[in-house]
Amino acid sequence: MPPRAARRSLLAHAIARNIGLVLVIFLLVFSIFLYGLIYGLTEGRLPGGFELTSTVNNTMPLVLAAMAQTLVVLTRGLDLSVGGVVDLANALGAISLGATPARMALASAFILLAGAGLGLVNGILVAYGRLQPILVTLATLSIYQGLAIRILPQPGGAVPEGYTALLTNPSVPAALLYVVLLGLFWTAFRRSQAGIAIIAIGNDEGAAAANGINPLRAKLLAYTLSGFFAAAAGLFLVATATAGDATTGNGYTLTSIVAVVLGGVSLFGGRGSAIGAMLGAFVTTMIVNILFFAHIDPLYQSFYEGAFLVIAVVLAEGLGRFVRKRR
Amino acid sequence: MSAAPSLEAITASKAYGGVQALDNASFSALPGEVHALVGENGAGKSTLIKVLGGRVRPDSGTIRIDGAKVVHGGPNDAHLLGCWTVFQELTLLPWMSVAENLLLRREPRNALGLTSPRRLVAAAGRVLEKFGITEIDPRALIEDLPLAARQVIEIVRALSHEPRILLLDEPTSALMERETAWLFAQIRRLRATGTTIVFTSHRWHEVETIADRITVFRGGRDVGSFTTLAEEEAVTLMTGQRVETFYPPLPAAPSARADAMLSVADLAGGRLAGVSFTLHQGEILGVGGLAGHGHRELFLMLFGAERPHAGRILLRGREVRLRSPRGAIRNGIALVPEDRKTEGLLLPLSVRDNLTLAVLDRLSRFGVIGRAAERAQAARLMARLAVRAPNAAIPVGTLSGGNQQKVLLGRWLLADCPILLFYDVTRGVDVATKHEIYELMMELARSGSAILFYSSDALELAHLAHRVLVLREGRIAAELPALDLTAEQIVAAAMRERLAA
Amino acid sequence: MRGAGSLDETWRRALYAFAAAVLLFALGAVVRPGFVRPDSILAVLTVAVFVGLVAAGQTFVILIGGIDLSVPWVLNAAAILLATSSGGSDARAFSALLLTLGMGAAVGAVNGLGIAFLGVPAVVMTLAMNGIMEGLTLGLSGGMTCASCASYAPPAIQALAHGVFLFLPTALWLWLAVIAIVSFILGATVFGRATYAIGTNLRASELAGLRVRATIIGLYALSGLAAALAGIMLVGFGGQASLGMGEPFLFQSIAAVVIGGASILGGRGHYLGSVAGAICLVALISVLLAMNMAEYGRSIIYGVIILVLLLLYGRESRES
Repeated sequence: MPPRAARRSLLAHAIARNIGLVLVIFLLVFSIFLYGLIYGLTEGRLPGGFELTSTVNNTMPLVLAAMAQTLVVLTRGLDLSVGGVVDLANALGAISLGATPARMALASAFILLAGAGLGLVNGILVAYGRLQPILVTLATLSIYQGLAIRILPQPGGAVPEGYTALLTNPSVPAALLYVVLLGLFWTAFRRSQAGIAIIAIGNDEGAAAANGINPLRAKLLAYTLSGFFAAAAGLFLVATATAGDATTGNGYTLTSIVAVVLGGVSLFGGRGSAIGAMLGAFVTTMIVNILFFAHIDPLYQSFYEGAFLVIAVVLAEGLGRFVRKRR
Repeated sequence: MSAAPSLEAITASKAYGGVQALDNASFSALPGEVHALVGENGAGKSTLIKVLGGRVRPDSGTIRIDGAKVVHGGPNDAHLLGCWTVFQELTLLPWMSVAENLLLRREPRNALGLTSPRRLVAAAGRVLEKFGITEIDPRALIEDLPLAARQVIEIVRALSHEPRILLLDEPTSALMERETAWLFAQIRRLRATGTTIVFTSHRWHEVETIADRITVFRGGRDVGSFTTLAEEEAVTLMTGQRVETFYPPLPAAPSARADAMLSVADLAGGRLAGVSFTLHQGEILGVGGLAGHGHRELFLMLFGAERPHAGRILLRGREVRLRSPRGAIRNGIALVPEDRKTEGLLLPLSVRDNLTLAVLDRLSRFGVIGRAAERAQAARLMARLAVRAPNAAIPVGTLSGGNQQKVLLGRWLLADCPILLFYDVTRGVDVATKHEIYELMMELARSGSAILFYSSDALELAHLAHRVLVLREGRIAAELPALDLTAEQIVAAAMRERLAA
Repeated sequence: MRGAGSLDETWRRALYAFAAAVLLFALGAVVRPGFVRPDSILAVLTVAVFVGLVAAGQTFVILIGGIDLSVPWVLNAAAILLATSSGGSDARAFSALLLTLGMGAAVGAVNGLGIAFLGVPAVVMTLAMNGIMEGLTLGLSGGMTCASCASYAPPAIQALAHGVFLFLPTALWLWLAVIAIVSFILGATVFGRATYAIGTNLRASELAGLRVRATIIGLYALSGLAAALAGIMLVGFGGQASLGMGEPFLFQSIAAVVIGGASILGGRGHYLGSVAGAICLVALISVLLAMNMAEYGRSIIYGVIILVLLLLYGRESRES
């Protein structure tokens, strides 16, 4: 049994360990509050079910991209090809999703597998090629984007209504269910052998190997899953847009990094939770919403987003240091 | 010696780049035997342990366990044969908890194969309890633990696998007496059950205390195995030469009227809870005590690398605020830090670059480095300290531990700092270099430098310091004069509180 | 670690990059015989100047294990600032030049401040700065609708980008000067030595008494300065500024530095390597264009070639 002094600091332990998560929850609550306030002032009523549904729907691609990015960042890598995989899945979705449910399911499964395969390529290059992740994915980003444009040179294609309704129904917050499922997936994954191995190699690859963990296998898995989730993001994107575009996914490389950072996942690997990163994705969307309803000149949008990112990270850093000192 | 060896290495070789770390080395240990591996740094002890434990594959040679030839594909293969290792550079995962580390890859799992934090902590608590560790919280992150506690966790993890063969690489270098005693009790218990234990240590009294047999390594080879061996003989074997008097004579203590170089008043911050003392010109002031009682903070604060919460620092009677190491150096203070590989040297850079790093401003004009002056200065220092390196342009990381430490000392000699902070300056340094460092310290003290000297080796303090301050719980627990000072007195002062409790 | 020393290794990698560039020109000659005529080689090299200038800044920050993702919009802002503040007149060209370079250095210094003093990871700080500069550029120029936004670069600047001096384009002369200056800074000064030291081990550099924070800020300021210079040259080359003109330079500049043999983890690399990397990239694009390759094909082959080069000599040494 731990001695008394240690037990009293249980809460401090929990907070210190999950400081990133605590902060992103705080940020999310604060941004929702601000959003509600500004929305109320400008629209004369509080945001309701429609706003909730559309917010969640619009954020889903980023939520999935953030999940994809988290898995790689936890291994101490960075996946710049996320945007390329999103593009590719987007393009494939636009040309292959047919009218029948069976065709849609088949095409979706194929696209998800293709995404996993692209992730695996990254993983093989990083693990067996002994190349820096940021460089590998910089190169594969270019390749994947090229492939996406080859598949869908001009925006177009058609996404069946049923597909859109299933993934991003504008009147029912079905996407909330997906978010919850992703959260459950992460919780289970974090407690599985595979999840522990990925976190362990992000902590210290050499030490993990000395403990009998196979770093190559852990990396392959992390990158493969990353490709899978990035492809899922592409499918959600094409469903929301109801038509394909092989370039709209580009932005997800950088925004997924933003979500991961806001979510308290350490860019140095081994620390953080995908749940934090998913909440970080929602914070990002809320900021865009706030700026929109505050009638900020959209030209300045990037300015505020950038400034907010720096402030949030500095705040997290300061708070983390404060909690550490207090203990 | 009737029993068959349980663990053998036969003519094992391993080279790293151009350096032959193991050179046709052979070794064997019996069941129920505590076998000490001794040798200078770079003698091949750590490499042998890594080879035996499956961490490193030998270039040639055979490993046998219980007489059967084995080829380790990785640590897992060794683990399956009941062979577990405590590595010198710990293999704990810093941002995971004690519990996660202890039970890595054997977490308690439910039907779905998933673990839960609660069960993990409970199971880890039981493991810790089993080995008599009560003061470490299984929920704590490794990163937040002092080095000694991390070492204990690394040891407990290996012990908890109930090894048939236990390899311990310098397990005591971060431990103080009490933890060492705990480890030895564990070793004795395992020995009684027939476990083979191999361990390395730089502290001779530990080897004498616990080892049944001693194998000496030199230059990547085994040079002899003994059941009894006197320290002098061991040193001779390890160095290949006879070392006459180990500790050089201490210069006369400075008189009470000698100039006060550095005074500290009520300095506090971190684990340091208020410390006052004065360091005089020509004095070697020892600092002793258990790890984690504020030594590190004290040294970092005096070097401007950490900010004190309270207290004053006076240089020659004038109060100063040290805001950065750079400021401290400008005030004539130098620090040889705890870990020369991560805090001291820039391993991939050349010996010359490392030597001149602190004096670049002096060697340059308008920010441009004077190449000729730099070469000359580096060559001078390498000659003075007898740094054994092929040339000044090779990466300092390719040198042996002792020569690396000389380069680091050379940097501060070049900087001409009269106040020298030496934090465990002989740690992980071979016997011959230790001797050279001792001589250098005496020479520096004679020429008027003031040295603040922390050592984890109480014997060293007893022989090399004019006075010794013993820190306990961030305060000075005792100030012991040099005359007839023994290591036991230092240790007793450091532990008084615990013994009373 | 090999006894031969990591510096030699790095030079060797830079040499490989030069060899790769020569090989690409040879390949170009096969595809289209006119590709290796002096004037077309000079044309390729002139285009490489822009990537090369940005890569100078990127080299500085990558040497300390950092990265500058704010390059695209610092470059873009610089191009617009030069055009608008000079109003296209030579009389105001010099002051506009100073203003623009000062802006680049200042923005870079802010990056450095955030990284060195606030502890923001370089990826996050410079990514955010890119957004900040994008927002400011778009907002202040009203989305390039402002009255002076259509201004041309002053003729003097255009001449600098297009002119010829002693048989070589002036842009190349400028690049040669930048190469000399950057190599001198990195190779012969205290600042350069500190850069390599910090990239190798920040904590040890601090404990050796180096000016770690000032150096970091200086390096990011230099990166901002380099991006601004590239923006100036680009607006001089094209005449007018446009939105999004900086985007291609982010990944290209990073790729150039890495192909040139620098370690993305810091502590190892030379600007001459990055120069070779920049020439490689631009030669590659030119060859692909000469082959009438479609955009998607260029994108794919571009990625594949980078991977091949990385696999040839960009691999991390195996843990021993």
